[in-house]
Amino acid sequence: MIAEDQLDREALEALQPIHHQPDTFFSKYIWSLDHKVIAKQYLWAGLIFFLVGGTLAMLIRWQWAYPGQPVPLLGKILFRDSGGVIGPAQYMQVFTMHGLIMIFFAVTPILIGAFGNFCIPLQIGARDMAFPWLNALSFWVFALALCLVIGSFFGDLGAAGAGWTTYPPLSTNVGTPGSGQTLMVAAIFVTGVSSIMGGINYVTTVIRLRAPGMTYLRMPLTVWGLFLTAVLNVLFVPVLGSAALLLFLDRVFGTQFYLAGAATQGGGDPILFQHLFWIFGHPEVYILILPAWGIVSDLVAWFSRKPANWYKGSVLSMVAVTALSAVVYGHHMFMTGVNPMLGQGFMILTLIISIPAELLFLNWLRTIWKGSIRLTTPMLFALGMVFVFGLGGLTGLYLGAVAPDFYLHDTMFVVGHFHFTMAAASVMASFAGIYFWFPKMFGRTTSELWGKTHFWFTLLGFLVVFGGQLLAGYSGQHRRLYDPFAYQYVQPLRALNRYTSWAAFALFFGQLAFVWNFFHSLIRGPKAEANPWHVGTLEWSIPSPPPVHNFDHLPIVRRGPHELSDPRVHARLGRDWIGQAEVLPDERDVPATAPARG
Amino acid sequence: MSSGVLHHRPLHARDEATARVGMLLFLGSWAMMFAGLFFALGVVRWRSPSWAPEDVGQLPTRWAALNTVLLIGSSLALQLALRAVRNARLARMLSSLRAAFLLGVAFLASQAFLFARMAALGVRWETGTFGGAVFGLCGFHALHAAVGLVGIGGVTRAAGRGTIQPARHLRLQLWTQYWHFVGVVWLILFAAVFAGASGA
Amino acid sequence: MRLTVLAVGPLGIGLPLDASKEGWRIDEMINVTSLFVGVIFAIMIVWMGWSILRHGPKHRADFDHGERRSSWIWTVATAGLIFVVVDGDLLVRTLVSVNRIYWNFDWAERQPDAVRLEINAHQWAWQVRYAGPDGAFNTPDDVVTLNEVVLPKDAPALFQIASTDVIHSFNVPNMRMKVDAVPGTINRMWFTPALLGDYEIGCAQHCGANHYKMQGVLHVVDPAQFRDWLAAASANSLQGYDAQDNSAHWGWSWAENTRMK
Repeated sequence: MIAEDQLDREALEALQPIHHQPDTFFSKYIWSLDHKVIAKQYLWAGLIFFLVGGTLAMLIRWQWAYPGQPVPLLGKILFRDSGGVIGPAQYMQVFTMHGLIMIFFAVTPILIGAFGNFCIPLQIGARDMAFPWLNALSFWVFALALCLVIGSFFGDLGAAGAGWTTYPPLSTNVGTPGSGQTLMVAAIFVTGVSSIMGGINYVTTVIRLRAPGMTYLRMPLTVWGLFLTAVLNVLFVPVLGSAALLLFLDRVFGTQFYLAGAATQGGGDPILFQHLFWIFGHPEVYILILPAWGIVSDLVAWFSRKPANWYKGSVLSMVAVTALSAVVYGHHMFMTGVNPMLGQGFMILTLIISIPAELLFLNWLRTIWKGSIRLTTPMLFALGMVFVFGLGGLTGLYLGAVAPDFYLHDTMFVVGHFHFTMAAASVMASFAGIYFWFPKMFGRTTSELWGKTHFWFTLLGFLVVFGGQLLAGYSGQHRRLYDPFAYQYVQPLRALNRYTSWAAFALFFGQLAFVWNFFHSLIRGPKAEANPWHVGTLEWSIPSPPPVHNFDHLPIVRRGPHELSDPRVHARLGRDWIGQAEVLPDERDVPATAPARG
Repeated sequence: MSSGVLHHRPLHARDEATARVGMLLFLGSWAMMFAGLFFALGVVRWRSPSWAPEDVGQLPTRWAALNTVLLIGSSLALQLALRAVRNARLARMLSSLRAAFLLGVAFLASQAFLFARMAALGVRWETGTFGGAVFGLCGFHALHAAVGLVGIGGVTRAAGRGTIQPARHLRLQLWTQYWHFVGVVWLILFAAVFAGASGA
Repeated sequence: MRLTVLAVGPLGIGLPLDASKEGWRIDEMINVTSLFVGVIFAIMIVWMGWSILRHGPKHRADFDHGERRSSWIWTVATAGLIFVVVDGDLLVRTLVSVNRIYWNFDWAERQPDAVRLEINAHQWAWQVRYAGPDGAFNTPDDVVTLNEVVLPKDAPALFQIASTDVIHSFNVPNMRMKVDAVPGTINRMWFTPALLGDYEIGCAQHCGANHYKMQGVLHVVDPAQFRDWLAAASANSLQGYDAQDNSAHWGWSWAENTRMK
């Protein structure tokens, strides 16, 4: 330990000088270099497209509940030529755009764009990201991608329609001609560029800008999740870029990377795309879940008022999952005629990657055990995430093994599995984060009553809708079918599908509780204090909302992010929490472990 | 771990360390992108019964080899410029930069000529996967080379105005890293697309 | 066509009828795994419920980081136990069944009564080809049907599957088997029908607007009936053979594709 006066504060402050505040509308809200503003830009964009993606989901559920019947309200606007009825060609555009929008343009900007930008600098004790200009650019590149997505809806032959997985040859001009599909391929490439930029920024920021005393093992698990996600973004989104580039060349310039000649001649290979896509695609599901894992790991600790159980184990688990994420991708291709040795190898690795996820899960359970649980809205959503992820993760077992997959591949069981793990879990964590950081972001508090209402609609909605998918798939209903009941053996599932759809409509309308809460609190909510949740991470030691420069004085960190219910703290300060940079009355020294080596 | 005292290195040196981390990640991401493209190239070449379709004729492989020499030369020149500025030999730095730039321009011009020769032989975008590899992948690489050349041009101009110094030459260093990357990618492309390709 | 699938549970929930000889292993894997999953899930619910009810705001939180070895060793042990028991069971059953049966084409090829079929997938129909009495494919006595497969009970049915345009997937849920139809390759699958009846064939890979209508029917009949049908159909083919119709001669040599990839 060194004495605090030995620390060269001037040098420390000079590393992240306080710039003058932006004063024009343009520099404050449009081209802002402030990570907190960029975070909000991503949040708005993500929430708007979450609504679009959700509406598309409602169209799918309508078609399965009332096949061939005109869609109420929206039908007259969207499907004018067919009297409000969704046709087979439009149906495939609906499910394609639903998947692409939810993954790339809803969950990604909210969980990674918004929380990454907002939380990382604040939680590591920095004034901004390492590259603020690049940060602003990454949002506007993302916005360009959004324009391409909107453009796709107006494509000459409709929007993209080859499924979110975009497999060729269906996704080439042979299968899906028209500008709609091409624009989406371009949109994916462009949003990939944005993600890579963001990833470079997040990784560099965490490595270089941690406050003194903020060792890697004192970072909130939220930051760990976002950091590892950013690493995966940097490494694997480019592979998606290569897959998309070649598809773009095939569509626009007539190359034949993915088009096969006659069975025995050379030429391209459609399976090539699947390799490239899934080498990205499997890490992508971890990209979408790691921030959720991180956020929930922190929240369950804070609202159990005790330290996160075996923090090191959680970090190791997240790192292990990150490291293994790319070597399991083949489990998406078991039915493609893959070499059996390769297939079985992928199966073994897929089962192995479940171990770190189990460790993480057990840590959550052990964190809440013997805690002092406060069921605030963020905690409800965090516990809800634990629940849905547990369920979803367990269903992955069936699909990771080759033999059950002979039956379950392409059924609604797969759809149920990834909706529980990727949609429900990420969305629950997103809402948890929004409710938790809303006071800090916007300086106001949300209504607990509306929050809890929203929670129950969402949790029960997810359980029934995605549970319905699992049951339908188990019973043999396949995915991406305009009319599943064209198959006689699926006809007994009509009622199940209808009930599932009703639950989906309830889920959708239940989100109004969130919309109301969000806007009402934004405009009229009670002003928030600096630390309404009484937790110790650095963002809660500054005002709500923080000034542009975050910290008047860069903090010196002395302890981990979940030092709650420490008897020593209780004895000296009369409370169950202490800030990461707070000095206990008899502590004068600064920990020797400062991260910022000269 | 150090004592936490942070004043050993000057401010801009720490900024440079940050920029270097960023550059490393950036190059890492581009390396993964090209890794994906090379994987694709490997697969389609392995699946072709004849690489370069059989009726194409004599491929301008020697031109491609010349381009390789030009690009390697440009990288070398740029590295020499970097070495020169570190040894405070600013005049040599400037002349090396100019050489690197000119060689880079020559590379691009020669690439354009290569594409024209291919087209004259009847190779198009859609000429099997070979055409896609030539125009698509080599074209994509050429775009990267063009960006690099703009960067080098900017550094050369800055050098001419005296703003590249022994103590402050991060910009030169980063563009040099980028340019070497462009060169290595070309070497692999050359081997994967042109080496061993016959068309007769 | 007689409706063959009898979904057993309420709301139609339940595995479709298993009409194959080998599919029961898949059903068993699914059911055993469901048992384990059910137990784990129940424990999770009880644990979370107990924590929320008994370790609420009135309970004093335990200031334990869980970093001592005596603490985390239990976490590791639990994860290890689940892995060995649940994953291990699934893994062993799969490795055995996949290598001995589902991907063991060599064995199926050696069965004297094996029936061989070539499937050509299109947007949006299945063309099916039998070799006919001469035992060779792409000859005038081949029987070619559209969307219809006839198989004898208790004889292994071997399929080689190709596609002319986009990726499709030949799927027979009542036989618990499917494989993708990929342009540029020929994929294989096999099963042995065990119950007489009519079963649905479907496409299990999104292949365009009419993917949902790309259906076929599988008739499983007595071996004698099958022989009669094949003979009659083959005679018809011979009569109707048109040497000029190249698009009809889409068959390929079976032997070339029997080696594993």
